[in-house]
Order: sequence, then structure tokens, then C-alpha cells
Amino acid sequence: MFRWRFGADPTWREIDRLQRSMDDLFNALSGTRKPSLDPLWRGARLFPLLNVRDLDQSYVVTAEIPGMKTEDLEIKIEGDTLMLKGERKPQEVGDEISYHRRERATGTFQRSLTLPGKVDAENVSATYKDGVLTVTLQKEKATLPRQITVKTE
Amino acid sequence: MTDQELQATEKQQIAHPEGEFTREGTYFVPAVDIYENSKELILLADMPGVRTGDAEVDLKEGTLTIVGKVGGESDQGEPILTEYRIGSYFRSFRLTDVIDQGKITAGMSDGVLKLTMPKVEKAIPRKIAISAD
Repeated sequence: MFRWRFGADPTWREIDRLQRSMDDLFNALSGTRKPSLDPLWRGARLFPLLNVRDLDQSYVVTAEIPGMKTEDLEIKIEGDTLMLKGERKPQEVGDEISYHRRERATGTFQRSLTLPGKVDAENVSATYKDGVLTVTLQKEKATLPRQITVKTE
Repeated sequence: MTDQELQATEKQQIAHPEGEFTREGTYFVPAVDIYENSKELILLADMPGVRTGDAEVDLKEGTLTIVGKVGGESDQGEPILTEYRIGSYFRSFRLTDVIDQGKITAGMSDGVLKLTMPKVEKAIPRKIAISAD
């Protein structure tokens, strides 16, 4: 399945950059924002982005959420739906500081994901390492594919 | 600020990371915060998936380069959903003379690289006492 990704092609990024400067100029002059042209809006989706893999007996869900404290992260499982909720707090910076660049977003997030099959709610584990959250969910036993042996007569 | 909801954005890929870092693999631009206080400049870079030992900070001729190497994706099982891509990180900055380049320190935790760059003595604002005549 081919997905067109804006921003992946270097030519587009140059144009994006130019567009962004034009937008900034436009905003400065008129005070209105054109959402459809705002690159951040165009790419905006539910946070965090998730990758899911199907490992025969389990599902593994990964998300990149750097700089989180595990106490600010909440993971819940309900039936075949996984729910991730949390808050990415800004780092302590002290007073009298000025920003040169501020690209790292902070704020709250909540995202649900329905898995393709039933999982065993008692058998879910999660680890957070180097900014990557990994949730491993064991599939419910009854749904595991079963091998059927063929007997010859 | 804390009531704001986070939006996800796609990673920006770099076509050709310059110089010695042109190795096999996909490179992305890490999001950074750069701020300064009276005595130093602080840089925070989001590089999830990079272990402490796999981050490189290089300073050459006034150009600071940060690289975070990320191991290959797990090839266990079948991917069902792929909303983000995995790859290494690369970004470089020109440093001004305000930074005391010999005193830069770096630390990595939970996928966030933190660089502390102290300013040179003469760049630190000093209060001048006014004496009454």
C-alpha cells in the first residue's frame, strides 16, 4: 500500500519552508491563520503515533514518547481496546530564560487503539526505555490459531 | 500550557546528512528546544530509541553536530500498523562565539539529549554597582 507522505521529499521541504515564511509574513500582517496551509495542521494526528506488530501469540504496540516520567503515563486495557493517556510536562527550566527555539511539544494526550483480536487482559506488560513505550499483549488463548494435523487413512 | 493537547506530527527525513555521517540508513531531524539563561545555553533534543551510548556530539570549527543512532526495527512478527518510521537522528548547528566550546557537557535520558553550553566569561551579564559620589 503506497502512502503519499508530505514532507518526505526534499523538494517539498524547501517549498514548505518557503510557504512557512510566507505564512508567517501573512499572519503578521493580517492576524488570521489559514489552517489548511499550516504544515503542522496538515500532519497533525492523534498523539502518540503507534506501530503494532502481530507476533503469533501476542501483539506488540510501540510508541515514541521521549522525556516522560512513568508516573505521568497511564495504560488501560478494556476488552480488545488499549488506552494510552498521559502528560508530557515541560522540563524544569528556571526563571529568566529566553527561548531560541521551541519545537518539542508538551501537553496531555489520550489515545485508544482497538486491536484486531481479543487479548488476555491479565497478561499485558509495558516497558518504557530510552523514550520508547512498548506494550506487549498476549492474545486470548481461545483465539490462538491451532494447527490441524492431517491424518492419512 | 498543561491543558494543551498534544498533536502528533510526522518525522522530517533528511535527504543527505553531511560529511562523515553519510552512512547507510534513514535519518530524521530531531525536535529541539534551545533556551538560554544568564550563564549558559541549553539544548534539548528528542531522540527516542537512542540509548545513551549511541548518541554522538561532535564539535568542529564552530559547528555542533548531534547524531543519535537507532538500531534496526524489530523484525519479529508481522506489522499490522505503522504510523511512524524508525531511523537515526541528525542535526547540526552553528555555534556563536558566546559559547565556551571547551566546556560543553552532554547527558542523555529517556530518549532526550541535553547539552549544557556555558557562555564565555565576558558574555555573562554582570551588574555594575553604582556608587554615589
